Amino acid sequence: MSVPLTLLGLLEREPSHGYDLKRDYDALFGRGKPLPFGQLYATLSRLARDGKVVVGDPEPGAGPDRKRYVITEQGATDFEAWLAEPVAAEPHLQTVLFAKVVLALMLGRDAQGYLDAQRAAHLQRMRELTEARRGGGLVDALLADHGLFHLEADLRWIDLTAARLGALAKEVSR
Amino acid sequence: MSTPAVEARDVRFSFGSTPALRGATVAVAPGEILAVMGPSGSGKSTLLHCLAGILVPDAGEVWFAGRRIDTLGEAERSALRRDRFGFVFQFGQLVPELTAEENVALPLLLGGTRRREALARARGWFDRLDLAGLEQRRSGELSGGQAQRVALARGLVAGPEVLYADEPTGALDSLTGEHVMELLVGSAREQGTTVVLVTHEPRVAAYADREIVVRDGTVTTLTPAAGGS
Amino acid sequence: MIRFGLRLTLAGGREAVTRLLMVAIAVMLGVGLLLITLAGINGLNAQNARYAWLETGAAGADHSTDGDPLWWRLTPDMFHGEQIGRVDVAATGPDSDVPPGLPRLPGPGELYASPTLAELLRTTPADQLGDRYPGRLVGTIGAAGLPAPDSLIVVVGHSPAELSRQPGVSKVPGISTTTPSSCNGPCYAIGIDSSGIALVLAIVAAALLFPVLIFIGTATRLSAARREQRFAALRLVGATPRQVAVIATVESTVAAAIGVAAGFGLFFALRPVLAPIPFTGAPFFLSDFFLGPAEILVVALGVPVAAAVAARVALRRVNISPLGVSRRVTPRPPRAWRLIPLLAGLGELAWFVLAGRPATTDGQIYAFTAGILVTMAGLVVAGPWLTVLGARLVVRRANRSDALLAGRRLADDPRAGFRAISGLVLALFVGSVAVGLITTIDVYEGGAGGTAAQRATLVADLTDPSTRPPSAPVATMPRDVLAQLRAIRGVRTVAVVHLNPSAADLHLPEGAIDCGDLSRVPALGRCPAGADTAAIEPGAVGSRFAPDPWPAAGLFRRQLAALRVRDVAIGTDGSPVAIERARTVLELAFPHADNGFPPETIAESNAQLGVVKLDAQYRQLADVVILTSLPIAGCTLAVSVVAGLNDRRRPFALLRLTGARLGTLRRVVVLESAVPLLVGAAVAMGTGFLAAFLFLRAQLGQTLQSPGWAYYVVVAAGVLAALAVLASTLPVLARITGPENARAE
Repeated sequence: MSVPLTLLGLLEREPSHGYDLKRDYDALFGRGKPLPFGQLYATLSRLARDGKVVVGDPEPGAGPDRKRYVITEQGATDFEAWLAEPVAAEPHLQTVLFAKVVLALMLGRDAQGYLDAQRAAHLQRMRELTEARRGGGLVDALLADHGLFHLEADLRWIDLTAARLGALAKEVSR
Repeated sequence: MSTPAVEARDVRFSFGSTPALRGATVAVAPGEILAVMGPSGSGKSTLLHCLAGILVPDAGEVWFAGRRIDTLGEAERSALRRDRFGFVFQFGQLVPELTAEENVALPLLLGGTRRREALARARGWFDRLDLAGLEQRRSGELSGGQAQRVALARGLVAGPEVLYADEPTGALDSLTGEHVMELLVGSAREQGTTVVLVTHEPRVAAYADREIVVRDGTVTTLTPAAGGS
Repeated sequence: MIRFGLRLTLAGGREAVTRLLMVAIAVMLGVGLLLITLAGINGLNAQNARYAWLETGAAGADHSTDGDPLWWRLTPDMFHGEQIGRVDVAATGPDSDVPPGLPRLPGPGELYASPTLAELLRTTPADQLGDRYPGRLVGTIGAAGLPAPDSLIVVVGHSPAELSRQPGVSKVPGISTTTPSSCNGPCYAIGIDSSGIALVLAIVAAALLFPVLIFIGTATRLSAARREQRFAALRLVGATPRQVAVIATVESTVAAAIGVAAGFGLFFALRPVLAPIPFTGAPFFLSDFFLGPAEILVVALGVPVAAAVAARVALRRVNISPLGVSRRVTPRPPRAWRLIPLLAGLGELAWFVLAGRPATTDGQIYAFTAGILVTMAGLVVAGPWLTVLGARLVVRRANRSDALLAGRRLADDPRAGFRAISGLVLALFVGSVAVGLITTIDVYEGGAGGTAAQRATLVADLTDPSTRPPSAPVATMPRDVLAQLRAIRGVRTVAVVHLNPSAADLHLPEGAIDCGDLSRVPALGRCPAGADTAAIEPGAVGSRFAPDPWPAAGLFRRQLAALRVRDVAIGTDGSPVAIERARTVLELAFPHADNGFPPETIAESNAQLGVVKLDAQYRQLADVVILTSLPIAGCTLAVSVVAGLNDRRRPFALLRLTGARLGTLRRVVVLESAVPLLVGAAVAMGTGFLAAFLFLRAQLGQTLQSPGWAYYVVVAAGVLAALAVLASTLPVLARITGPENARAE
């Protein structure tokens, strides 16, 4: 979750005060973890230092949250470039899961049982996400779907590994 | 659990010399949505067919509403399917010669309900399942999602106690499939219908209350380890 | 449930309606044929009953006894190859029994004639016809007295004193009430040879009904997969097997009911067209060609009931499971035992060659009919096995994909492949049997038409068969008669055949003729070289019993004049005028020749032979069978091929998508039908000729003769026509294997 670029995007839409920026960020991207004010203003300062935003004239009334931030030409260009570039298609390496399976096999433990328990946990989580998305709005649904698909991908890997356990055991114990 | 809605006890079934179920046991609570998962060829569809009285197991017992149904004759099991069960399968279940509303009314017509009343009850389902205006269409004129919703309406029109769904979204794209599952689960919860849902897709199984896995003809119940992953 | 079944049947979309129509059409054809056959049998019986009064005077007939006795004589006459029935009658009192169709008996010098004969009498010069019957025409015989609308009958009135003195008359108490087929003793051989006709009709009915039944079977199988799917969906949703059976039964019954109604319509439409056609030798009166109320009821109710029962039985064997047919199970291949019925049928026919034919005519009919029908059934049963053999051969030698595909599919489902062409195979079988019989009988018995010389030579038998041995009442030919004969324009030779009294001791034919005369009447045969006189039997001329040349009579020419006259042979130029005038002269000159035969040309007398008459009927009925069954078989083939294409549209469409050319698919479809067709055709022809050979051997002692090239041309044309029907269904292939059909439903 790239906070600077997200803030740039919000400013691209319209210039905003700091408080409005935080409110919008929390609503759309917070997911229960609101952005700390400190991080917000630190990021804005860095962006200003890099010339991607400028601080507008302060409104009457003192305080840093009365400042208005405006995106610059540079900032807009950077933002557009980031928008256009696809996210690195790096698979989510479940290194923990992977390590557990290999170790279990090496040590002669019940890898199948472990995979079954993991599957149950994944499905439980998927149930929760499905229940949640049925109640929420479309944007909530999009995020829930993202999680569901990832969990499903993990389950696919679990199925494939379960089918290969025999051969894998031989490899590993050599 | 209290008396299960439908239950299989140590059921065995073979197709000729190929065994499909080797002692499968499962109990479904009333009002529960149960997902039956497993790799293809594992026997999950066969288990559903045995629970629904479509197939008679070679050994073991199948119980519904406190009675054994595997000992009933063909005509009685047909009556069960007509009046107490509903079915949504992957494809091929609508009668092509009938209109959509006639297809939905089919279980009622077969049970002897007068035509006018049966059609009236059928029509009531069209709005609930986003099928308004499609009453007179033939099955060939419906899209995949519309056909599955018609099949769902047919499965629910007689107010069944158990709805059996076998890969209901298998032939549909993700969005359409989700729509169908939403309606299926929503209607089932509304009416307190028990659902037995066979699927190999985790995202479809996620609509259920719990899942079992059929592996090599037997049933495994998965429990998450304490603390999760 | 029945209303539901009706709904599915009648408003079920295009495929269901197509199937309904096809089955209804097939049933219509079957019912129409059945009704025509039943009406034909009624017509035959009615026609036979009409002959009853002509049996008056026969020893085996019952006569009515109220009224005064009659003097009566029945003799045949001939005009232009058509037989005329001549009755000479004299009433002994005012209350004599009157034959049906006549208001009263004709008095001396009066005649009644049938309408057709009356017309001929009016339009023909008297010296060709009218002079034979003394008297004037006072009226026509009504329909009640006519066996057929175009019968030629004349009733000549005499005084009792005059008629009682003539030979051959008998005094009868009244008119006969016995039909020719129910005589208790000897009866005149008039009317229809009902046993022979029964034989031919039975085979014709079977030969026509088989293709229709196969057509019905093919039509019933249309959309089978779709229907199975539909029944499975119903069963899933909770229809009991009984409910599904009711629906299927309703479908079949509705189709059958429509077909029966249309079949009745077809019969009544064709009735006036068919009645006048002399299928059985003489045309029917339209009123005789009828259906009794019992028959109508049985067919109208029985066929739909039979359809319902058949549907129920068929469904009983197939247990429709709610899961439908997910995987297609390859049916077991046909086994070699299928050959047994065919061999049994041929064996039955062969048995009679070895053991001799059954003693009675009825026994012969049953034996031969049974053999032919079992052979026909055997062909249908053995067909799939032969198809598998052919298919395996094709697969083994297949170089290209189309042959491989066609061969594999045939080997996989030979029953369907054979069913499509079974109608054609049966038609070929019946055609081969008929042609084999006709060709051989023609060769042995001189054929229906006879040669030109045989048609131009008139022979009058002047012997008296009532004495033992037959005597010759005519001592010499009267000169005036000879002069009259020679005076007729068109008469070229008058030759007299004398009775040789010592012929029997020398084992020679009885007739003795001057060799010079014989050479001028070559139709009678040839003289041996160097002989003056020859011993001939004019009655055997034109048959295989006539030796060529005739043996020498061992008499001198001058000895002939002293011998009595046995026959007179007149050589003419063949013109009907000359023949009829000569016939009239002979009848008037020798009016009391009571031997039962008028003067006849050699061709005419050969045509009266039972076997030759049957031969003519075979010819006609064989034409009917072939002309009727070929279109039906063609329809079966077309429907079968299109249905097969429809069922396989997805695999074919996928084949095309993956690179198979349309031409390859076309060749596959053609090969799938062509292979069983050619195999079946060869077997049908071979079996047909074999059956004909066995029948001829057992029944007539004759050897099968090879048919002329015309037959092979017709067969080739038939096979090509079948292939053309196949080709005409191929445009469908292009349309239904378009890429949109490769979509999964």
